[in-house]
Amino acid sequence: MSTIPTRALAADIDPVRFEVIRNALLAITEEMGATLRRAAYSTNIKTRGDFSCAFFDRDLRTIAQAFAQPSHLGSLAHIVPRAIQTYGAERLAPGDGILINDPYLGGVHLNDITLITPVFHDGALLGYVANIAHHVDVGGGAPGSIGVSSEIYQEGLVIPPVRFVKGGQIDADIFALIRSNFRGTREISGDFRAQTAANRLGAQRIGELMAQHGAATLAQYLDELLRYTERRTRAAFAEFPDGRFAAEMFMDGDGVSDEPVKLAAVVTIESGRVSVDLTGCDDQRPSPTNATSSQAYSGVVYVLKCLIDPDIPVNDGFYRLIDIRSRPGSVVHAQHPAAVAAGWEVAMQICDLLFRALAEALPERVVAGTKGCVCNIAFGGISPSSGEYFTYYETIAGGYGATLRTDGMDAVQAHFQNTENAPVEETEANYPVRILRYALIDDSEGAGRHRGGLGVRRDYAFPGHAPSFSILSDKARFAPWGLFGGEAARPAKYVLNPETDHARELPSKITFQLAPGDVVSVQTPGGGGTRSPLERPADGVVRDVALGKISAARARAVYGVVVDPATGALDAAASAAERARRA
Amino acid sequence: MGALRIGIDIGGTFTDAALVDGDTGAIRVVKVLTTPEDPAQGFMAALERGLAECQAGGGDVAAVVHATTVATNAIIEGTTARVGMLVTRGFRDILEIGRQIRSRLYDVHLQKPLPLVPRRWSVEIGERLDHEGRVLQPLDLEEARRAVQQLARERVEAVVVCLLHSYLNPAHERAVAALVREIMPDAYLSVSSDVCPEYREYLRASTTAVNAAVMPIVSRYVDALEQRLQALGAAAPFYVMQSNGGVMTAASAKARPVYMVESGPAAGVIAAGAIAAPYDHRNVMSFDMGGTTAKVGLIQDGRLRLSTEIEVGAQAVTPLGEGRGGGYPVRTPVIDLVEVGAGGGSEAWIDAGGALRVGPRSAGARPGPACYGRGGATPTITDANLALGRLNPAFFLGGEMALDAEAARRAIAERIATPLALDPLAAAAGIVEIANAHMIGAMRLVSVQRGYDPRQFVLVAFGGAGPLHANALARELGIPAVLVPPNPGIASAVGMLMTDLRHEFVTTRRLPLDTLTPAALESLFAEFAREGQARLTRDGVPPADRRLLRSVDLRYHGQSFELSIPVPAGALTADDVARLRAEFDAAHERAYGYAAPEDAVELVNVRLAAIGVTPRPRRAPLGQGTRDVRGALKGQREVWFAEVRGWRKTDVLDRTKLLRGNVVAGPAIVEEHDASTLVHPDWQATVDEHGNLVLRAAG
Repeated sequence: MSTIPTRALAADIDPVRFEVIRNALLAITEEMGATLRRAAYSTNIKTRGDFSCAFFDRDLRTIAQAFAQPSHLGSLAHIVPRAIQTYGAERLAPGDGILINDPYLGGVHLNDITLITPVFHDGALLGYVANIAHHVDVGGGAPGSIGVSSEIYQEGLVIPPVRFVKGGQIDADIFALIRSNFRGTREISGDFRAQTAANRLGAQRIGELMAQHGAATLAQYLDELLRYTERRTRAAFAEFPDGRFAAEMFMDGDGVSDEPVKLAAVVTIESGRVSVDLTGCDDQRPSPTNATSSQAYSGVVYVLKCLIDPDIPVNDGFYRLIDIRSRPGSVVHAQHPAAVAAGWEVAMQICDLLFRALAEALPERVVAGTKGCVCNIAFGGISPSSGEYFTYYETIAGGYGATLRTDGMDAVQAHFQNTENAPVEETEANYPVRILRYALIDDSEGAGRHRGGLGVRRDYAFPGHAPSFSILSDKARFAPWGLFGGEAARPAKYVLNPETDHARELPSKITFQLAPGDVVSVQTPGGGGTRSPLERPADGVVRDVALGKISAARARAVYGVVVDPATGALDAAASAAERARRA
Repeated sequence: MGALRIGIDIGGTFTDAALVDGDTGAIRVVKVLTTPEDPAQGFMAALERGLAECQAGGGDVAAVVHATTVATNAIIEGTTARVGMLVTRGFRDILEIGRQIRSRLYDVHLQKPLPLVPRRWSVEIGERLDHEGRVLQPLDLEEARRAVQQLARERVEAVVVCLLHSYLNPAHERAVAALVREIMPDAYLSVSSDVCPEYREYLRASTTAVNAAVMPIVSRYVDALEQRLQALGAAAPFYVMQSNGGVMTAASAKARPVYMVESGPAAGVIAAGAIAAPYDHRNVMSFDMGGTTAKVGLIQDGRLRLSTEIEVGAQAVTPLGEGRGGGYPVRTPVIDLVEVGAGGGSEAWIDAGGALRVGPRSAGARPGPACYGRGGATPTITDANLALGRLNPAFFLGGEMALDAEAARRAIAERIATPLALDPLAAAAGIVEIANAHMIGAMRLVSVQRGYDPRQFVLVAFGGAGPLHANALARELGIPAVLVPPNPGIASAVGMLMTDLRHEFVTTRRLPLDTLTPAALESLFAEFAREGQARLTRDGVPPADRRLLRSVDLRYHGQSFELSIPVPAGALTADDVARLRAEFDAAHERAYGYAAPEDAVELVNVRLAAIGVTPRPRRAPLGQGTRDVRGALKGQREVWFAEVRGWRKTDVLDRTKLLRGNVVAGPAIVEEHDASTLVHPDWQATVDEHGNLVLRAAG
């Protein structure tokens, strides 16, 4: 670097102490997360990491946040202030813990339950630690609380802000009420205890930090931390070109009606100010395909975070620069009593949509259409072996989109979703299910100079019983798109009894009762490509053919690359002719 | 002179050899340059020079212990073998799909690590077991034969066999393995139920694939070293360090190289345990700070802390799991270490928002810190230490390398102090303080987070930079005592000579603990015990030196992670089984802050470590002195101490002249060839009979 930076921190801030405090805050939220993860019972939290932890100051501004799932990026920042304002900060005492999942008080879908613990120092309320975790089941009409519904009351227990922890102990009465509404109580107990343990540790650590630096000094440094983040975010946004960038798209039906759901975004960049207008999105539906404003916010925030230096911390200094407009009563800003179980599907598509809108403005930083669906799979019923009620939930990866520099990855989660898969052996040992196949889908990539990733197929059978099965996903009718001349990917398919004479395609959103012997095949989409497949270097195509990811027939038909079927080698002359013919 | 036990540690820059005289305990250390293109060359150079300095020959060698990164490097550099894999129909993409996650969340250009088995060599076979190991679909032997023939035609060098649920019933895998041996007699073979008989197919497949991928390269390397040792007339046993802190014979290393993938840092933790052992400290924190990173490990209740899973070739994984999916997971016991990007060469810089940052970027050896005078202009932790008077510019590496204190001060002033409007000394002190904050975070992570209090630990500091920072860290964390061994820079090479032969066995057996009879539990270990004894017999370990350590991985029913609980030796009683339950509850309480005594406990894995105890090098006791250290005083210099915000006149002592019982009152600096130990004001260092410096708060 040729220019030496000049002092940017406020004059009364010691840069050394600033850095020490900044690190300590991150370490605290990370330790909270590690505690939550290690103590949790459910696979979803432990193995798949579906949770997030944060620290808020007394003004309810996000100061530090640690997460494995960026879907929680914006949600905690929304939920905690609204929950505390609703509950009343003046009613809080040391050792309290406020529980909430109400989608209309800042929450997301009902499975994501937040626990907020006030931090007191010398008798004064000086901040909050909070964590949010995805619970496998919160009651309602479908196992896993993931199903086709038309109003929020069908989706499970709605928890307004309530004092769930008193004096450090979980309130036995509230806990009993909750447990009697959720399926699979054993995991629930462990997971709530883990959430409580994480906040206990966080509150203790923040207290120590206050004791070490003094509450007033700490507050001064927290202010500076937010200004620092804001400064860096502003500088990053200032690199974006001015303009108005719009895109729109359709989702498959909403689960109740087949009418596609329109999503529209307009991103305006003006001298380093970024605003996102989602007011063109469809009205909310009497279906689960609605996002709360927190969910839509999370999607937008995720994309903006991808576009700036990843070293910029996530706190209120970043959040407060994000300007989102949405219409209450729309699918991205649902109003009571809309159902929201598929709200993350909406938010996921918002991510794809914003990258498409910004393709012209920031071509080097965007990605083509990804798998574009969360792909929620849930099933449950009475286990034939134990006679107990069981609930299973997972989400399935697909192809990632290509960029102007890189191929999209095969079989990964997309955007704000980064949950791990459940091992087949563990799943079969814990649940009455057999996985018949778990594999990449050949030829599912969106072709291009850079190709998209391959989708995934996972087939389920249920020996000796027939549970209720839910799919809340998308992308069966509208495939992940390519960018800059790249092609679209193979769309998703959801098939009952595949490769039989009674095979039947299922919609992307459905809750239904299986018949004995049924097999469900979930086939996720690939990712979109960039630029023309005829520009793809032939050796890249030959390699994919050799690996069995792309068939020789597709290589010729789509990429204009001819591979000798006997040797697997490139037929350069035939390829040149094929490409010349189409150019 | 007695027979020599020799430890050889190949590092990035230097290859260290530690030679210990079996009779006197005298230790001789030699350093030669590492030879990356052929590490065996540096190995032999170090060995031969060491023997020459001891006036010894190959016949005087009692044992050689070696830590190597040859397996890890092959994976990182992508020079692994051509590996094929045979899998259950429907599951050829286990390695392609992996965990389905992205190792960096906001990077749209991210790529997955290339699978160690190319997809075209992952071949499906008709067969299927269920989750209790019962055969749902018999093995199609003809199809298996065709699959192996296909791999043979493709000239793969190593074959992985990984079939679903084989951890419960290895019959199908063994039948396929027999076909591989028949059709491809020269191929390296790695069978999942043998290498990693645990459930979770991706982890098992990945572990087995890593093993196969490095088998050829490790075999060739170990063979070459054995031949050269023989040519030298050294017929002594040759051992290879494992990532679990034990050693294995050369033959085991060739069969299970996956056990050595993270063996480098393990020796340091072993050394820390041995250094602290005479003090009867149950809990030891090892602190190894070198040029690029600092590594913190734990010994708890007298036992090494092992984790059961790592990712090879991955970037650092945060506690929340960011970074997972960036490498190749390996499920073997590995000494649990936390690594931070804070070493002597870590750079101080100002970020785009105006904050002062330290690391993780490192100046490395070239250009190195500004004070090396090799063109480096960015200040590092070493530069800050020098500017504060904590390092002696004329006595770095015993004076082999002169440091330019003026260059260090200039770099700090120009790059940090002036832009931040800080006093240059405050800037230098700030760099050290921020580096210490990173390391304190790591120490909290390994201790507090796991349910321990740092105040219950003794800190053992080594590595070139560890002894300079240890006192401040201990003070901050409330750790009562710091031990600094002699020659802290080569503690790892010496640590290798303090390790035992170790064979690990594990299998998954999911059973409710409360229905388990003592006899049933006993029987789960029986085969491992027999096999362990057999292997120790093959290793030539006399029965008196054998130990069988048994443990079980337990969890509350419904959890998906386990805690390892030791099972006592000898015939088990009903009380012992009940005690396992109680110990599990206690361990859970400690690790996670709660126990659930009302919940059912499930046994998941059965583990046995068969250990052959090897003789420990014993340093010759140091001569007795008085409290008076004047005999070792080299002089005085001004050193800046942050806690008094000023310079203090500080005694400088020559470590080689210290005697047992000497008491060094802080502020003081104890200098030796490869490190300097800083004793802060109001602390003091006592010299113990083994030559360790024992730092405690004075008074």
